[in-house]
Amino acid sequence: MQVVKALGASAPTVFSVIKKGGFAPMVDIIRQTHLPAPNPKERRPYSPFQDTSNMAEYAVARLDDLLNWGRKGSMWPMTFGLACCAVEMMHIAAPRYDMDRYGVVFRASPRQSDVMIVAGTLTNKMAPALRKVYDQMPDPRWVISMGSCANGGGYYHYSYSVVRGCDRIVPVDIYVPGCPPTAEALLYGVLQLQKKVKRMKTIQVWYRK
Amino acid sequence: MSNSIAKLLALDKISNFFNIIRQNGGIRASMYKLYRQDELKDGTLVGEDQFGNKYYENPRYFYSRNRWVEYSDNFNMNYDGSQVPAEWFGWLHYKTDLPPHKDPNRPKYKWMIEFTENMSGTTGQYVPYSTTRPKIEPWVPKPKSSV
Repeated sequence: MQVVKALGASAPTVFSVIKKGGFAPMVDIIRQTHLPAPNPKERRPYSPFQDTSNMAEYAVARLDDLLNWGRKGSMWPMTFGLACCAVEMMHIAAPRYDMDRYGVVFRASPRQSDVMIVAGTLTNKMAPALRKVYDQMPDPRWVISMGSCANGGGYYHYSYSVVRGCDRIVPVDIYVPGCPPTAEALLYGVLQLQKKVKRMKTIQVWYRK
Repeated sequence: MSNSIAKLLALDKISNFFNIIRQNGGIRASMYKLYRQDELKDGTLVGEDQFGNKYYENPRYFYSRNRWVEYSDNFNMNYDGSQVPAEWFGWLHYKTDLPPHKDPNRPKYKWMIEFTENMSGTTGQYVPYSTTRPKIEPWVPKPKSSV
């Protein structure tokens, strides 16, 4: 359900699709927004945009590659440590996991950051603050939901004071499972986000318009 | 004797350096490897899996860095940790010292499915779905008219 929501966050039809219980259209959406399943025996090109039909499309695709390369190489997370997951989030900044080698540097201000790592239980009281911080971030912005509590309430799912998943407040790109996830898992989440950023079609969508 | 004196003076580092470059196939190939995996090591090839990933070992490096994988050229720059198949995972993470082709005690049943990497973000990904009627009805806001 959450995955479906995350996939179709921009498409208004997704809700109605789920409501109708139709599974086939969902598969269609995934087919449009996702890459085809990789074949391990085939050589994988760097760029996910390989099916260009003319010169203009090719040029626009390469521009997108360049833009995505820049974006994924310097993703600065907003530190949003809410609970014990934040301790693991500190670990990926420490020398053993060392997120700095991927160009990931913690920023203290939402106005300077690209990605928000929601680390820990999101309570009802904190939710408006989380939304406000998210709203202050400049535009290509992403959210990593870290740990069971941020993913779907986790242990506190039935609590009266906890938001059942931070995807009720902000659109989430990557869900990192675990309670708490290891620093390694979070780093893998960051790498998955880099993969996702790599297939963003900013300029191609502009050209299509 | 002369060997140990060279070691005392840390001169073996120089020969190691040239050894590493020779093992990785010359200066050009070494530069490419350094670019691709940020690391240039010498080691003995322990084995290769079905995807073409190569597994190396060199006890000269300290524990936890002395076993490593060099991903297949097919993966290009798109390699990630989930491409190490389950058979090799144990060896790579020191759960066992026996690589899969030297271990006779590995279970092999015909119902075991083939290993796949993490398919998230592709059409092969796993999508959870509910088989029960939803207990809540989501609020569908009326879209503002764009005029």
